[in-house]
Amino acid sequence: MVRLSAEHLDISYGDRTIVKDLSLAIPDKKITTIIGSNGCGKSTLLKALTRVIPHQAGSIVLDGSDIAKENTKKLARKIAILPQTPENAPGLTVGELVSYGRFPYQTGFGRLSAEDHDIINWALDVTGTQFFKYHPVDALSGGQRQRVWIAMALAQETEMIFLDEPTTYLDMAHQLEILELLQKLNQEQERTIVMVLHDLNQAARFADHMIAMKNGEIIKAGTCDEVMTAEVLKTVFRIDAEIGLDPRTQKPICITYNLIKGA
Amino acid sequence: MIQSALIKKQRRFFFGLLGLILATAIISVGAGYSSMSYDRIFAALIGQGTFKENFVLFSVRMPRIGITVLAGMALALSGAILQSITRNDLADPGIIGINSGAGAAIAIFFLFVPLEVGSFVYLLPLVAFGGALLTAVLIYLFSYQKETGLQPIRLILTGIGFSMALSGVMIILISSAEREKVDFIANWLAGNIWGTDWPFILALLPWLLILIPFVLYKANRLNMLNLNEPVAIGLGVSVEKERVTLLLAAVALAASAVSVTGGIAFIGLMAPHIAKALVGPRHQLFLPLAILTGGWLLLLADTIGRNLLEPSGIPAGVVSALIGAPYFIYLMVKK
Repeated sequence: MVRLSAEHLDISYGDRTIVKDLSLAIPDKKITTIIGSNGCGKSTLLKALTRVIPHQAGSIVLDGSDIAKENTKKLARKIAILPQTPENAPGLTVGELVSYGRFPYQTGFGRLSAEDHDIINWALDVTGTQFFKYHPVDALSGGQRQRVWIAMALAQETEMIFLDEPTTYLDMAHQLEILELLQKLNQEQERTIVMVLHDLNQAARFADHMIAMKNGEIIKAGTCDEVMTAEVLKTVFRIDAEIGLDPRTQKPICITYNLIKGA
Repeated sequence: MIQSALIKKQRRFFFGLLGLILATAIISVGAGYSSMSYDRIFAALIGQGTFKENFVLFSVRMPRIGITVLAGMALALSGAILQSITRNDLADPGIIGINSGAGAAIAIFFLFVPLEVGSFVYLLPLVAFGGALLTAVLIYLFSYQKETGLQPIRLILTGIGFSMALSGVMIILISSAEREKVDFIANWLAGNIWGTDWPFILALLPWLLILIPFVLYKANRLNMLNLNEPVAIGLGVSVEKERVTLLLAAVALAASAVSVTGGIAFIGLMAPHIAKALVGPRHQLFLPLAILTGGWLLLLADTIGRNLLEPSGIPAGVVSALIGAPYFIYLMVKK
């Protein structure tokens, strides 16, 4: 099933076209990962799909209606977006920042209801940040801070969560912690997760659906086995990759690779 | 997620600042030329003052105190809005050209309208307001881009550019003017509270009565705007729309204040900062404190200025700059 899809999308910054005539569908209740080299337009695409930046042509349709025409606050109850490395939240405590996730449900002066408090506490619990509730966000480590931002996105209680490289700047254990948390949210609560990931093996390991991009176009979209192939990686990254099977997860894995000479 | 301890703290500061304003107002009544002894203030208030006491209290001191407190409040709220929508801690109504725009309008008005102090005194706030509004609109148009909308950094840079250009224009205008006109304009630019009569309070009060509740109502949105833009959009804030309406509110507040007080800088910078230092960056908490701090600071500046140099005193704008400039430098060094 598909709730969010894009048709013939053009996205540009000024004169520079980043994404040209792109169409895609995001499978519902699945984890989708987007891979591609630097500057291929994957972050741009993610921003456009979540109406953070406008698109110049084509349409993005969520539940049958064009998101460009949809009320932005209503959309925030359906889609949460965690942009790449958000700035600090000067002076805010963890609890305060996470409470901002309730904004789409608030009216007027923004008093939090008992239900809001429950959801905030739940978001803090599942991300393991309850302990820091009254600590300033600025005082946390990179991994802790990332989890707090995820908690804020969770407090939005959306069925779809978009994340732009949520594991950047984290060490290996913390990367896995974040990804497993997202996987758990997907499996236990059937949330649709769409994320841009840099690490190919992580992208394949956690994805149900993969999208490989180059120069603003989708080269290949499909299951991990369809996308994580030597051929696709050759086109997308210009690498000669050796693809194997992860003995623990049974997912395709890039064992080693070389640059393609003379390409 | 506001802790109740923080709310209690905010309340304490709120009443503390109210107390400070009251105390400063009482001192202000009793200090300076044609002063009033403190034990007579109460008597005059309940209608048992002499003619002279009544005149000093009700026609000289009280309007002036009212004007300074209200203007300080408006400037503080305007500064707080600007700092949040531009996400720049050093923003101040001065940078969006309010002071220079109003100043240039006053200068032009003075040079081309025959100088007769009479009914047109009441025209001056309108002229200053118009000048400030026009400047702000121009700055907005010049910093607005079709692709990206209103980008805070462009707004600031364009604002600074306009401020400088208009200051230059004013100097050229003034240099060719008659002496007495120059005196008034110079005094105006220095922020010498000149509209010290009840009608000016009536000119200022409606803006505050409408815009303070409006901005407090927007407090939650201001919280989001203070985060980065993608986050705010993702949370469902109509960033562009909110920025424009809040910018308009900030311009109206600052312009209405400056139009009766003359050019006053730094209050809009300092007051929000002090308030944030007291209770943190959540607008619901710090905005009321910023408003009171602004009112108190300008009243204090005017009281000091009025008594430092007999008989005409130093303009409040100069005193607030004397307090504000070191604070500004402190902020820069701290960063």
